[in-house]
Amino acid sequence: MTVQDIAADILLGLAAALVLASSVGILVMRDTYQRLHYVTPIALIAPLLVGLAVLVRSGWSANSSQTWLALLFVVIGGPFLTHATIRAARIREKGDWRASAGLDNQPPSGRDD
Amino acid sequence: MNAFVIAAIVMLVAVIPCGIVVVRGKVMDAVVAYEAVSSIVVMALVLLAEGFRRSGEFELPVLLAVLLFGSGLVLVRFLERWL
Repeated sequence: MTVQDIAADILLGLAAALVLASSVGILVMRDTYQRLHYVTPIALIAPLLVGLAVLVRSGWSANSSQTWLALLFVVIGGPFLTHATIRAARIREKGDWRASAGLDNQPPSGRDD
Repeated sequence: MNAFVIAAIVMLVAVIPCGIVVVRGKVMDAVVAYEAVSSIVVMALVLLAEGFRRSGEFELPVLLAVLLFGSGLVLVRFLERWL
């Protein structure tokens, strides 16, 4: 077992533990906003660790390039999805996403009821 | 079985708590769990492709990452306005 293998194993162990812990966090948290905090490690940190592990093992190759491309989409798309989800949750809850939402009883935007 | 395959299996095990949230939680909670599952599945596919040394299978997570990002935004937009 070389140093590269050990480094890849450590990175993979960290990524797997992070994903497992965050997944349990999603299960045990109480509401949508708290659960969303646990998506961030899965969508941002774990892909970087996995990408580094593949890079350490394979070096710069077609495989590692495609790995980084896939994980780049996850890393870039994660915050956008989180933001859109928070916005949707707030609109469903308050009727509007702005800070003043909930102070007046406006009907939800885009809905007929 | 190498470390990459073991890590992929652990990540697939991590889908189970998210699946419980999808089945038992409210709609927005299920969406959050779905987003987590989509990221986990992309990583698991990368790890399996690397673990089994199959170069052709690296294209699947790339496509899946793009499609899941787009579908997630569409789903959230529908939930925001109509569902």
